[in-house]
Amino acid sequence: MPSKLATRAKTRLRVPAGWGFVAPYLVVLIAFGIAPAVYGLYQAFSVTSPVSDPYFSLTQNFLDVLRDYRLPGASWNVAKYLLIWLPLLLVVVFVLALAMDAKRTKFAALTRFVTYVPGAVTGSSAALLWLFMSSPAVSPIGPFLKLFADKSGSFLSDQTFALLLSVMGTAAGAGGWIVVVYGALVGIPQEVIESAVLDGASAWDTVWHIKLPLIRSYIAFILIISLAQGFQLFVEPTVISAGAPGQVSRTWSINQLVYSYATDQSNYGRASALAILLLLVCVALAVLIITKTKFYSIGDR
Amino acid sequence: MRTDKIVGPAARNLLFVLAILFFGLPIVWLLLAPTKTTNGLQYMPPMAFGSFQQLGISASNLFGYDNGIIWTWALNSVWYTALSLAVSLSVAVPAGYALAKLPFKGSNVVLFVTLLTMIVPSAALILPLYLEMSAFNLTNTPWSVILPLTFHPFGVYLIYLYAKASVPDSIIEAARLDGCSEFGIMMRIFVPLAWPAIAMVAFFGFVGAWNAFFLPFIMLNDQSLATLQTGLQILVSSTGAISGGNPSSVPIHAPEVALAAIVSILPILMVFLFAQRYLVAGQTAGAEKG
Repeated sequence: MPSKLATRAKTRLRVPAGWGFVAPYLVVLIAFGIAPAVYGLYQAFSVTSPVSDPYFSLTQNFLDVLRDYRLPGASWNVAKYLLIWLPLLLVVVFVLALAMDAKRTKFAALTRFVTYVPGAVTGSSAALLWLFMSSPAVSPIGPFLKLFADKSGSFLSDQTFALLLSVMGTAAGAGGWIVVVYGALVGIPQEVIESAVLDGASAWDTVWHIKLPLIRSYIAFILIISLAQGFQLFVEPTVISAGAPGQVSRTWSINQLVYSYATDQSNYGRASALAILLLLVCVALAVLIITKTKFYSIGDR
Repeated sequence: MRTDKIVGPAARNLLFVLAILFFGLPIVWLLLAPTKTTNGLQYMPPMAFGSFQQLGISASNLFGYDNGIIWTWALNSVWYTALSLAVSLSVAVPAGYALAKLPFKGSNVVLFVTLLTMIVPSAALILPLYLEMSAFNLTNTPWSVILPLTFHPFGVYLIYLYAKASVPDSIIEAARLDGCSEFGIMMRIFVPLAWPAIAMVAFFGFVGAWNAFFLPFIMLNDQSLATLQTGLQILVSSTGAISGGNPSSVPIHAPEVALAAIVSILPILMVFLFAQRYLVAGQTAGAEKG
């Protein structure tokens, strides 16, 4: 038994040790996390004017951004994308994971591997791949796409773009989540399922009343992470519109609009204001999902 | 047994076949594309193999583009990624460890801020980062990309979670009583124990840094500083390779672009195949996405 004095001495020794270990991280946290966030906040209240020096205003940039005629279009595009993509992703992930769990065959394992591979193809290479996939002339599903193509033989337009991005996002994102959800299903104790079956539960009953309730926290988790990703949509529309100029608007997504403020107009105030509005919506939705699904209380399980 | 009563094996296997087609077909198509000519891409069956000769032509066209600038892009990608990953790991491991095992006054605040920065869209930070870098005259230098990539809050949080849940205090306490220094305890006790978590953080850090697009896109103007990811975009927009209107005599068309895409994902695929086993095991512990 160490004496009280020794314990106290040790506790005192630990303080500098902990700080020393965290100090390098604190430097990068402040330099590349907190400082830009605070600076962005400050910028949002600094109004750029063609006739005078920048001046301070609490609301000017936010009002200017909200009045921009391009914002409703871009917001609607992102909303459409999220409304198609999120349900599609959840259905694909849960149906496949549950089917793989129902009987753990070799074929199921192979499928799990194949669904995981497109996750390695991200960023601009993924955008290029799907640009090809959506060109009726070269796509493996070209004849199908031609049914929806316009007169010039192109499938891509502001209207079909949300659909293409959703399919692309599902192909790239589902595999990783399938592994996570499948892992959770495997983790359910076998006795729980067996006792339910003994009580006369059918296979569907175990899915609906045991498996899904036990893993429902993953639905919220996937939704929150995917929402944040979806609102940030930038790389895919930028690369695709570079490959197909004129077919898709350069300010198709909200983040592209932020970028356009900063580069085309050199108006960092408006860019920051819009980025902050985007962040607020994102956080509000995350809070809503967390409180409505009791995500964290289940997470402690 | 269980679900078989309703969803027969046939229906389930059909589902798997459809899934393999949906997820696998685009990748196979991408691998086949550089073996065909631009005409072949249009008129040959989509899943047909062209010829090795044509693959050679596509490769020499791509690697000859702009005096082999793609090698410069690849080299840039490699060293930006390697350096930022090395720094971010040596920052994240001690931080995550200390937050879990050497708590101090204010460590909870650090943890809370870390969680907070994780939900801030990185895109929202990029413009202020640009202004910050330009205040230090670092824009359009490799440092403007490498330095921000060293900040990896997800990594810190993952190491923290692992240390908290899977490394017992008693081992650390025993080493301390044996007279091991705090740094020695981390290096000799914690790091060997936590290597699955560290490997996972390294993998996600690698993928994140390698695939970074927005950051180099905004920070770098010189084509000779571009990474493979932004280089791909330069390649496509400056040659009009995909839009079809390619008036220049530059021999960069769809097959070459497909090959460039393969080149840019090859390192990820290789690391991915190598790391797969550990990732699948580790992901159930709560992995980072994207």
